[in-house]
Amino acid sequence: MSLLAPLYLLLGAAAGIPLLLHLLRRNIGTRVDFPAARYLQRAEQEHSRSLRLRNLLLMLLRVLLILTLALAAAQPFVAGMGAGHGPTAVAVVLDNSLSTTAMSGGVPAFAQLRDAARRLLQSSGAGDHLWLVSANGRVRGGTKDALVAELMRMAPEQDAGDLPLAVRRAAAAVQGSALPSRVVAVATDGQRSAWVSSSPVDVPLALLTPRGDPPRNRAVLAVDATPARWTPRGTINARIDATDSVGFRVLLGSRTLARGAVARGEPVQLSVSPPERGWQAIRVELEPDDYAADDVRYAAAWIGAPPGVMVDPSAGSFATTAVNTLIADGRAGTGSDVRVAAADAVAALPALMTPPGDAVRLGAANRALARLGVPWRFGAVDTLPVAARGTRMDGIAVSARYRLVREGVGATDTLATVAGEPWIVSGPGYVLLASRLDPAATQLPIRAAFVPWLADMIATRLAAPTGDAGAPIQARAGAAIRIPAGADALENGAGTRRAVTGDHINAPDERGVWFILRGAKRIGAVVVNAPPEESSLARWPAEALAPRLAGARGRPSVTADAWVHDTFSSGSRRPAVTPLLLLALLLFAAEAIAVRTTRPTAA
Amino acid sequence: MESNLRADLFDPAALASLGHIEVVARWIVDGFLSGLHRSPRKGFSVEFADFRPYQPGDDLRYVDWKIAARADRWVVKQYEEETNLRATLVLDVSKSMEWRSRPALLTKRVFAEQLVAATALLLLRQRDAVGLIRFDDAVRTSVPPRARTTQWRRVIAALAEPAGGRASDLAAAIAQASRLVTRRGMVMLVSDLLVDREPVIAAVRGLRAAGHDVIVFHVMDPAERDFGLEGEAQYADTESSLAVPATASDVRTAYQATVAEVVGEWRDALAVVGASYELVITDQPYAVPLRKAFDARQRRP
Repeated sequence: MSLLAPLYLLLGAAAGIPLLLHLLRRNIGTRVDFPAARYLQRAEQEHSRSLRLRNLLLMLLRVLLILTLALAAAQPFVAGMGAGHGPTAVAVVLDNSLSTTAMSGGVPAFAQLRDAARRLLQSSGAGDHLWLVSANGRVRGGTKDALVAELMRMAPEQDAGDLPLAVRRAAAAVQGSALPSRVVAVATDGQRSAWVSSSPVDVPLALLTPRGDPPRNRAVLAVDATPARWTPRGTINARIDATDSVGFRVLLGSRTLARGAVARGEPVQLSVSPPERGWQAIRVELEPDDYAADDVRYAAAWIGAPPGVMVDPSAGSFATTAVNTLIADGRAGTGSDVRVAAADAVAALPALMTPPGDAVRLGAANRALARLGVPWRFGAVDTLPVAARGTRMDGIAVSARYRLVREGVGATDTLATVAGEPWIVSGPGYVLLASRLDPAATQLPIRAAFVPWLADMIATRLAAPTGDAGAPIQARAGAAIRIPAGADALENGAGTRRAVTGDHINAPDERGVWFILRGAKRIGAVVVNAPPEESSLARWPAEALAPRLAGARGRPSVTADAWVHDTFSSGSRRPAVTPLLLLALLLFAAEAIAVRTTRPTAA
Repeated sequence: MESNLRADLFDPAALASLGHIEVVARWIVDGFLSGLHRSPRKGFSVEFADFRPYQPGDDLRYVDWKIAARADRWVVKQYEEETNLRATLVLDVSKSMEWRSRPALLTKRVFAEQLVAATALLLLRQRDAVGLIRFDDAVRTSVPPRARTTQWRRVIAALAEPAGGRASDLAAAIAQASRLVTRRGMVMLVSDLLVDREPVIAAVRGLRAAGHDVIVFHVMDPAERDFGLEGEAQYADTESSLAVPATASDVRTAYQATVAEVVGEWRDALAVVGASYELVITDQPYAVPLRKAFDARQRRP
């Protein structure tokens, strides 16, 4: 038994009043004239036994009555006693991740889970403390009505959320409550991928997962458009997950590029040279199923003429060969749009620059960098062999390099590092390497990734118009992203436009391709897709998931009624106020009867 | 007071508030007698005395119709009422009689005085001799029985004397009464009987042995019968040091049972010696005790 207001037990001291009156009545101070006192004395003598018993009974009834009222005022909670449930701190975790949009029995799982959560909230009492936690970990506290209203406004999110984080926050919320009973109630579709990293919380947990198996799902797991800038040729790769063959369609903008059927496990690869120019949306879609979120996946690419590249002999033979290969492949042209040369030989940007072949030219190279506005300088030579780190650069050995020293201001990206220091940096119109493109300085020019890397650098870093994003920005719904400076709006293929300011924004919640606009010009694209892991709808059984979430304190349920019951019975203590008040009423009635109707037995 | 209202049926306290004891006693007796006239009894025992000429306003029942038929004159028969009863009213004015349970009631003494005054007037109107003895622990007032018209005023004056405010000695008062009433007569005791029973019964037995009729009016306040008090207190006897601690609600039923026993004991003990007993509650009209007194008188020859 626990007491919500234990100080009220002090009222029990009042039980001493009838006890004292009973014991001390012979010393009653009040004196009342009553000529027939002799009759009273005779009555007490003749009925002394029955009067004593009756007085004792009355005293006991009165003492019990006062003690019962004092105990009721202290608001006790007793296991297995009383009606309803005791004040309980309940945090409801509602899984509104993308996977809950999957249909189950003709109804989205989210609708079923939300309805169960609504019933749970409406079953709460005035003394309960309530919180509502969504899959992204956002915690909302409030009254029952406020949380029900909030619940009905909730919609499925466009990503996986972080359900383990949500449960931990829910546990923290209830553990901060002063109420004796604390429960986390989780309503989830039980998706395995959502609960991989969960660790048990130290509070009772009632778990609701839908009964039955998840729907069979066909999904576009990934779409990749390579290279990022088509000149104008490009390739679309799609990975599709299906239990059997499935029909698909590939669109560029609103134009269908291809349609067909793909067998299970078979990749989709489509090489095209489209006539469209500029930033374009690519869409791969399947025949619809019960889980629509991954039936479509998006990509974007910039399409245009290949940039003209002029390679200077000072860049070395490997660079010259690689550029010639790109020209031969049609991914670059002959011209002066982009220069590839040693820094001291570059007269204008854009350019991919290397250190000079002769250390004597180092000063001239640094002066050239300063003249070009590049905020980096070549520093001391370092010949200690180290491995590079960076996209496509991991593990590439570097045996000779100049330390890059930052001088001046300006936007810059570090594309690769060695020993924690910049090795390849990039900025507006330049890519600067700290090593010569020579196997004596680095293995980069003899690695297979060199030519594609060089193509990407030319296409996305150097050939793109000033301020262009270069490559599409892949983002999850609502995630923080960085967009090119000067962008003023995002616009999707349907013409929906969203104004933006600054270069740090949150990606739109709606999946698709959102073009980055500066005025009327598209300068990039943000691609928002469903998280690939949300395509796996495999579920944990409730009996297996509950222990993962709360150890032995987890209670699995597959029906809303059982879940609501488990939630409010987890504390197992119920208020005993009503039974105590009923007992007090009975004692009061017994006392009244004893006072008024008990007939003494003649002695 | 209007003639169609019977004062003997009024609430005693309300009646007492309307006037002096003398006036109130007259209203009581008038009311009582008016009720009596409507009963089958036609009146007191009387003997014919003389004729006198009829005067307007005389009761036509007393016109001698034979003389009227023979002599053509109207005469009215006059009667001489009997005066062969000597009644002594013995009134307890001890301290316990000064008590009342609530202000709306009369004290037992005031109630008893009204009853004695009305009874005395009723008897004197029958030409009976009426005497009065007031007592507490001793006889405080003694008015020998007389049948004179001024006797009632003497009784009223005696009732107005201050009460002693001491304990009762009813046996002594009865002994005094037996000395005052030398001829056989009626002795009416009005007391709350908060005394030891045996000496009183012995004294009453003596009165009965002397040929007196004895009627005892046991005056009680309603609270003395029902113990309708509230709370927990030391309930103290007004005439002794006895104080009984009690909670009214706890002992009420036991007390009521005891009072019923006491009343029964008094009634039985007095019946054994041939005396009448009547319990009189101070919130009841005077008609009942007056009727008892009147019936006791009527049983006398």
